[in-house]
Amino acid sequence: MISLTINGQTLDVPENTTVLKAAEQAGIVIPTLCNHKDLTPYGGCRLCSVDIQGLRLPATACTMLVAPGMIVRTESPALTRYRRTILELLLVRFYDAGYTHSNGSPTIDSQFAYWVNYYGIDMKSTMAQKPFRLIDSDPNPFIWVDKNKCIMCTRCVRACAEVQCRFVWTQAYRGYDLRIVAGADTTMLQARCESCGACVAHCPTGALDNKMSVKLGPPDRLVTTTCSYCGVGCQLDLNIKDDVPGGRVLRVTSNAKAPINGDHLCVKGRYGYDFIQSPNRLKQPCVRKYLLDGTARPHNRGSWVEVDWDTALDFAARGLRNARDQYGVHSIGLLTSGRCLNEENYLMNKLARQLLGTNNIDCCERVSHASVVDGLESGLGLNAPSNSLDDVANEAKSILMIGTNTSEQHPIFGVKLRRAVLWRGCKLVVAHPDFINMSEYAALRLVHRPGTEAALVNGLMHIILKNGWEDRTFIEKYTTGFQDFESCLDKFTPEYVAQQSGLDETSLQHAAEILATNRPMAIVWGIDLANYPAARRNVLSLINLQLLLGNFGVPGGGVIPLRTQNNTQGACDMGGHPSYYPGYQPVDSDATRKKFEAAWGKGLPTRPGLTATQMMSAAAEGRLRALFILGEDLVAGASNGSHIQRGLHNCDFVVHMAAFDSETSRHADVLLPGVTFAEKTGTFTNTERRIQMVHQAIAPQGNARPDWLALTELSRHLRRNNGDGDYSDWDYHDTSQIMTEIAALTPIYAGISHERLEQITCLQWPVKNLSHPGTPMLSMEHFAGGRGRFTRIEAAEADS
Amino acid sequence: MVQEAKALDIVELVEQAVAKHGARRDAVIPILNEINQAFGYIPTAALPEIRRRIHAPAEGVFLADSHLYSAASFYQLFSLKPLGRHVIRFCESAPCHVMGGRQVIQALQNELGLEIGETSQDGKWSLLTTSCLGVCGVGPVFLVDDDIYGNVTSDQVPEILARYK
Repeated sequence: MISLTINGQTLDVPENTTVLKAAEQAGIVIPTLCNHKDLTPYGGCRLCSVDIQGLRLPATACTMLVAPGMIVRTESPALTRYRRTILELLLVRFYDAGYTHSNGSPTIDSQFAYWVNYYGIDMKSTMAQKPFRLIDSDPNPFIWVDKNKCIMCTRCVRACAEVQCRFVWTQAYRGYDLRIVAGADTTMLQARCESCGACVAHCPTGALDNKMSVKLGPPDRLVTTTCSYCGVGCQLDLNIKDDVPGGRVLRVTSNAKAPINGDHLCVKGRYGYDFIQSPNRLKQPCVRKYLLDGTARPHNRGSWVEVDWDTALDFAARGLRNARDQYGVHSIGLLTSGRCLNEENYLMNKLARQLLGTNNIDCCERVSHASVVDGLESGLGLNAPSNSLDDVANEAKSILMIGTNTSEQHPIFGVKLRRAVLWRGCKLVVAHPDFINMSEYAALRLVHRPGTEAALVNGLMHIILKNGWEDRTFIEKYTTGFQDFESCLDKFTPEYVAQQSGLDETSLQHAAEILATNRPMAIVWGIDLANYPAARRNVLSLINLQLLLGNFGVPGGGVIPLRTQNNTQGACDMGGHPSYYPGYQPVDSDATRKKFEAAWGKGLPTRPGLTATQMMSAAAEGRLRALFILGEDLVAGASNGSHIQRGLHNCDFVVHMAAFDSETSRHADVLLPGVTFAEKTGTFTNTERRIQMVHQAIAPQGNARPDWLALTELSRHLRRNNGDGDYSDWDYHDTSQIMTEIAALTPIYAGISHERLEQITCLQWPVKNLSHPGTPMLSMEHFAGGRGRFTRIEAAEADS
Repeated sequence: MVQEAKALDIVELVEQAVAKHGARRDAVIPILNEINQAFGYIPTAALPEIRRRIHAPAEGVFLADSHLYSAASFYQLFSLKPLGRHVIRFCESAPCHVMGGRQVIQALQNELGLEIGETSQDGKWSLLTTSCLGVCGVGPVFLVDDDIYGNVTSDQVPEILARYK
């Protein structure tokens, strides 16, 4: 610790602290412009200059490191004059055309305008009297560029380089001509801009702004919530204006306090919000005319008629009941959604099992998530990624990325990995049949034939064993089945694997060496691996590789399946699975079933139900007669759309609840208007088991209702008798009440409550009780029997 | 007429310059210099060609077009647009100014019929300013191509220019 004095106050701060940070710790405010907590100190604007005893001239607090006995003064008449002059000089080359700055604060001032005003300068009369550059000078659809407001602080340059690793912005020319330019003075997009808006979020003047909302003025309030795009789980601020009943979303801005992403968002999260208020939203429940007429269903189901909620729910309940009465409970299937809240997914599971009496419930992302759940369960006894995104990004010495286009599918995590490569020398091996952006950062790029992933991984293990790179101690202590497994690698010689995968032997050797000798090594995979028919086998062989190298139970190791949607993990956690109650409690275990029978006051089905893919085949064959689909466009989302369409077409009765009309709703009989993430409160669970709050920001559009509310009301139309368990009722007034029920019945969610999440922002399951801090990394004790299991993977030829 | 560099020539020249100076980040300025020497300016099409040959993120070497443009636009001995056959670089620093530089630059402008930064229609002359050339003892100073002229007066300007065909 170093002791120094700032404004007469004595402080002890760690070595290598800047004077600015030391002052911050003491609650002393020093004005800054070019400094930003995410970026390397620059010392360019000089506004943070302070007096340091013994120095002839003021020094910049943002770059000056503390020294023992240093005496600092942050305010004096001379410093005030100094700072005022700096601001006046900046204003010589500054012109504000008068539109409002839009970056996320209810107070309209930019940071620059704030300090200009603070030092008593009248901006209007001091600044340049006419624009000297084009206002709105770049055609980027999301980012507004007005270089008249640029003060050359280079925060955009540093944000683009250090945060997004894209290097679009630079300073060019010199002297009076100095200006920021994109690339080789081209448009931003030509300079490979990804439109993430990091430069906008970091700009202190409004020279860079949000184009879609630049002149819409400040919001009335900010609502912090969790993004609804991918499984990374970024938090963001919805900027709300209350000039219409229920409010409207003006724009999205980043929130420096967001646990995963801070001030960083991707183009989707920051700019992809207009779907919320799209005129194409479903706003009124609809039923087919034949239902109202009481006639037979026409071949194409006939025309839609808008009805009230009660009528729609009544028809929905009647249709489900008819199927049950006529063809039995297992003629009904429910598909739940990784777009919806945990609470809503839980209610779907309860609806299926308690009210309808079937385990035919699955998540719409069956194809991509089943391999993950079943593979991890079989190899490790886990149902989720073993490690956290940040521990991989910060600790892994090498990473195998296979079957994931991370920078597009999970952009913020992709960028974290780019940073790992650029700023701390992490070695990336990218195995993907395409040239993807992450390949550019790879120490080695493997372009294998699609479908030969398992052969490739077996080949790597063959080489690892040949070189004695395996971790014998780990294998002995923490695994089973190694002896039986070992021999299955014999035939996967480099020659054989090269011939199968289309890779050359040298690359295979090189890849094995990088991954085996730079530990901890993490494996990241995504939908491009998980969507294969043999995905489960691929997952198992990746687990074999990590067991062989002993990469479990360490930060920076483990397996990270990147879940496609914002709540794919949660949908599965909540019992959106034909074999599991919430929290992966198996339906075929008598003890578990009895627990849920007691809680829900109802006898429950004993056998696992149909998977989503099995449901579609069953529907095509006439064994499944009714479907309830929540929140998804099943047809567009599936790789085999025509198979799905055939199944849906064949169903007697389909209820679809969604925010938009789609290919799937063409096959529905009852269409219920759902809401987006901006219109409801609850929780999402991200790909690393992190549970975070979603907050309602605006009222539901039109007559749409949150899914949980619609499901609660549907239960009233369905019920015949009340059971007598603690949780047999459906009298939910809000989602917090549902979470309390989830926590009571689901050991891995036992410590979750909305109240707690409001206070500490996020928790990673398992959370064993209300004082348990959560589990960022699943260590060996979480594995089944404390050991991982090797699985023989024989197949080699490319899968069809 | 001012000649623009041809795409094929650019690729070939970048290839040679990178081979000569090494595919390293710290070789960027000598490489830019080779190109500027060969064409009289740095065609922006050369920048991605240089970047492609040096950029290697996996080795921790990150080079973007923006970095190259920043360097190419900063140095006054580099130009980003085609210049005339002969380039005059007039020192605009204080010592030359004090010694009567203003009259000399005015004489140059009058004689050539060019404003500062312009290139003549026939492609013969470009008139540029530069910061200090390091020979303040003999100001006012200007360069014509690689020739330096010191203690210049406005009367001498026509005679100096006449030396160049």
